[in-house]
Amino acid sequence: MTADVTDGAAGDGATAPDPDEAQRAIEYCYERGWSDGLPLVPVSAPLLDEFLATTGKDPDEIIGSLEQVGRDVNVRTAAINAAMAGCKPEYFPVVLAAFEALMRERAARGGGFQSTSGPSPLIVVNGPIRHELGFNTKGGAFGPGFRPNATIPRAIGLIVRNAFGVHPHVLEQATQGLPGRWQVCIAENEEESPWEPFAENGGVTGGISAVSATLTRTMEFVDNRHTPNHEDVLRDLQDTISRVGSQIFPLSGVALVLCPEHAQMFAAAGMSKADVQNWLLERCGRTGAELSSMGKAEVARKGFGGEYEGDEAFHKFLGGPTSIPVIVAGAKNAAISMVVRIFGEWSGTAVQVGDKK
Amino acid sequence: MPNAILDPTGTVTSAAAKPAAPRAPRLSSLEGKRVGLLINTKTNARPFLEEVGRLLEDRYGVTLTRRTKVNFAVPEPEDVIKELVAENDVVITGVGDCGSCSAAAAADGVVLEAAGIPVAAIITDSFKPTADAMAALRGAPGYKYATTAHPVAVLTEDKVKERAASVLDDVVSLLTDTGLTDTALTEPGKTEA
Repeated sequence: MTADVTDGAAGDGATAPDPDEAQRAIEYCYERGWSDGLPLVPVSAPLLDEFLATTGKDPDEIIGSLEQVGRDVNVRTAAINAAMAGCKPEYFPVVLAAFEALMRERAARGGGFQSTSGPSPLIVVNGPIRHELGFNTKGGAFGPGFRPNATIPRAIGLIVRNAFGVHPHVLEQATQGLPGRWQVCIAENEEESPWEPFAENGGVTGGISAVSATLTRTMEFVDNRHTPNHEDVLRDLQDTISRVGSQIFPLSGVALVLCPEHAQMFAAAGMSKADVQNWLLERCGRTGAELSSMGKAEVARKGFGGEYEGDEAFHKFLGGPTSIPVIVAGAKNAAISMVVRIFGEWSGTAVQVGDKK
Repeated sequence: MPNAILDPTGTVTSAAAKPAAPRAPRLSSLEGKRVGLLINTKTNARPFLEEVGRLLEDRYGVTLTRRTKVNFAVPEPEDVIKELVAENDVVITGVGDCGSCSAAAAADGVVLEAAGIPVAAIITDSFKPTADAMAALRGAPGYKYATTAHPVAVLTEDKVKERAASVLDDVVSLLTDTGLTDTALTEPGKTEA
């Protein structure tokens, strides 16, 4: 091998890493079935040590179990997967908090990762860590373009694949899956939100860095930028939330990811986050007749498997505040918000990002 | 000496290293036996298993017991398994027609077999790969179950009964074919409905 600088080379050929060696290492990872389809960062013991140095946790500590497949994941294995996903070592405490938050979800501990629904985590980061690690907190909140936002959810996906052994077409039986699976990590736009940070709704107060997570089944935008009336916007959100297609149980959940413009409009009208939630809780739903006409009579029952409540009965879809978490994200440049369908229900808790102790 | 590339899979053991889950001895006949229906709550699972049970009552004079799975997505807890073993001579479970519930049906079958009870798990054909993978994880590679065509949830009452009748011989064979030695029970694919 020569170190000659040729056309197209980076220009520091004498010190740049050997691309042929890097490619061989990447292919080695593919051959072992570790990849989600995209190239992985091959992990060495020194890199692993850098990750483990960011946490006070014992490398052997079990941080999650999937009882039905008989697999556990410990801190060391999580760190290898986080490094493979492209995380920097300093992201690792956020990966650990996100994984803990996700494993608090009943659906994640149950059959969620194996489900025909193919659900994806929605991860929400709050607090100073957003800026310390360089998260995107503004435009393009759902990605791509920013290393922590992109690699942290990928790390979770690789943990599920490699540490839990849940592979597509085998233990993972997604019918179609969804775009953005293992790719959604929002850093809340706290600076332009009129309300308390989302982590406070999950019990972590005082501006401490924290992560919340739930499983989701895709999302739909609500573009409403031409009305001065905040109730018009609420009715527009109500219409999207009340769609029948995504309803499979009597109660469902949505994460409402509001753009700063919509959030500020509601706040200017005197509404708190709870006011917005309550407005929608009361109104989102369909009648028994509407649901039955679309083959969804089982949704119009009094609880799962319960009695049909009749054609006239209005059936509310949302059960309470934890079935409609409200997050503020994106740029203040257009009034576009997102309705994200929750798979199961949100635990209603946030996990503090651990300090190195 | 270059660094090794680290393995991200954690505590994986090879299939050969897993403790093998023993299969229960087959019964010589279902005549007068206690048959447990473990119903997984999926749409049409109850009428499907009830019809299988009714046909077995007619044919063999079996006594039925019924139990609803605690959570269709995961294997039954240990105390439920113990009760199923105490109350029944054989168990029929299903219908595994989704990612988690088909795997859970296979897992319940393997665990009950190891506890001495022959099981016929009924799974829709779309989910054979995941049922097979779960059985292998549980120490029973090639574990045999009955299959019926996917989907089951959309079938009318009459069609559910037809399906139950069509899977009956496979169910009986899984529970009573004494020719099904442990070796034969590790050959997949014979129980196509």
